[in-house]
Amino acid sequence: MSAVESEHDAVRSIDAGAAPTRFARGWHCLGLAEKFKDGKPHAVQAFGQKLVVFQSGDGTLNVLDAYCRHMGGDLSQGTVKGDQVACPFHDWRWGGDGRCKQIPYSRRVPLRARTASWPSLDQDGMLFVWNDPEGNPPPADVTVPRIEGATSEGWTDWVWYETEVDANCREVVDNVVDMAHFFYVHYSFPTYFKNVFEGHTATQYMRGSGRPDARPQEQDGSRAKTTGSSSVATYHGPSFMIDDLVYELDGGEAQCVLINCHYPVSADKFILQYGIIVKRADTMSGNESEELAAAMAEFIKLGFEQDIAIWKNKTRIDNPLLCEEDGPVYQLRRWYEQFYVDADAVRPEMTDRFEFELDTTRPVEAWQREVEDNLARKAAAAKTPAA
Amino acid sequence: MAPQDNRLTDGAPMRPVSCGQCGSRVLVRKSSLQQTSVQWNSEALRGCTEHTAAMSGPAAPGALETCHALGATIRAAALNGTVEVLDDEHAG
Repeated sequence: MSAVESEHDAVRSIDAGAAPTRFARGWHCLGLAEKFKDGKPHAVQAFGQKLVVFQSGDGTLNVLDAYCRHMGGDLSQGTVKGDQVACPFHDWRWGGDGRCKQIPYSRRVPLRARTASWPSLDQDGMLFVWNDPEGNPPPADVTVPRIEGATSEGWTDWVWYETEVDANCREVVDNVVDMAHFFYVHYSFPTYFKNVFEGHTATQYMRGSGRPDARPQEQDGSRAKTTGSSSVATYHGPSFMIDDLVYELDGGEAQCVLINCHYPVSADKFILQYGIIVKRADTMSGNESEELAAAMAEFIKLGFEQDIAIWKNKTRIDNPLLCEEDGPVYQLRRWYEQFYVDADAVRPEMTDRFEFELDTTRPVEAWQREVEDNLARKAAAAKTPAA
Repeated sequence: MAPQDNRLTDGAPMRPVSCGQCGSRVLVRKSSLQQTSVQWNSEALRGCTEHTAAMSGPAAPGALETCHALGATIRAAALNGTVEVLDDEHAG
């Protein structure tokens, strides 16, 4: 490099940083509660350890460290006996509060017979677990909001997917502010985009128009075409997002709730989950709502699969180089950091309200052209007889 | 030092603006007439009439999308030049 070149010509370095060594403080959804209610203990790899989830006789779902404090047996391979999980090694019985309640072959339970237990919450068909590296219970104002439709006859049941991703979970959280990737990766067409971070919530307001060049499930003409959408998606804590989503369809509109959530397995692996319910409308006949929920789930799955392909191959980047039409990545990460420091080390800058409204003028112009080009190419291809 | 948003270090920083309605002081940046960044602190938020009204209901923190009075102040400030609006030259 010659001395006359300005500093602006210097090669930009990527600061890959390092994934945090601890796991986020907050409520994490482990999936639909139903799958843990079959009377068996279930193993869950989360927060860098192995957990056991079991339902006690009174119906409560409990989450404990999977390894028995006696001789290290794996409780997730054991059996549920009444309100306790019994170790397969020596039948020690552990209650949901983490205390050993009984050792059938012993006169008494030794002192200090207590294992790690996680506060859990069985709500709206989902099981949540509270993780706090400091071991404190959830503060009263840190809650998972109720989802009205989830328990209502007027809505479909959850269509739920989960998949393992080999990346640090910050990658999925970054999506909150990444407007442009919704066009390139999720086949959406954002026309309005705004973020608000405040307290332990991070919200994305997005409105979009249809993508006549994409949305493969609509191309066969059997389903109503989406002409637009309006979405308010909020992370409540580090990992659980509720997206109130309205699709404008040819024949009306569809009201949906999309859950996008995850829990970390390790620093470089997480379980990504998404669930959808759709409100039954008078304009929808029979099981049209169920079909719509299933179709949407397929479509969202496609988008996440493409996200995953990107995440698998990309580098972690702590110093993204942003243009003015990108969202507030740095401010989002400043917000996200509050979950990775001790509760008394949370600084006001992490929780103070921050708003960012994006100017979509230029992106919309560019994407309009791209959609038109795609349609023209398809039309031309359709005219050419197949070889 | 933690990595910085290159748009703030190479472009323009955030500047203070006081709301014409309640006087709450926030930091604002506009890269265009439509784009707006607003940094609040707890004092400004407490002083804001619209947020106080929104928070008296069951809404979660952050549930209010925008304060209209502040929005009007920022728009006026952008139009009369009190708040700098980056043009393409600066934004580069």
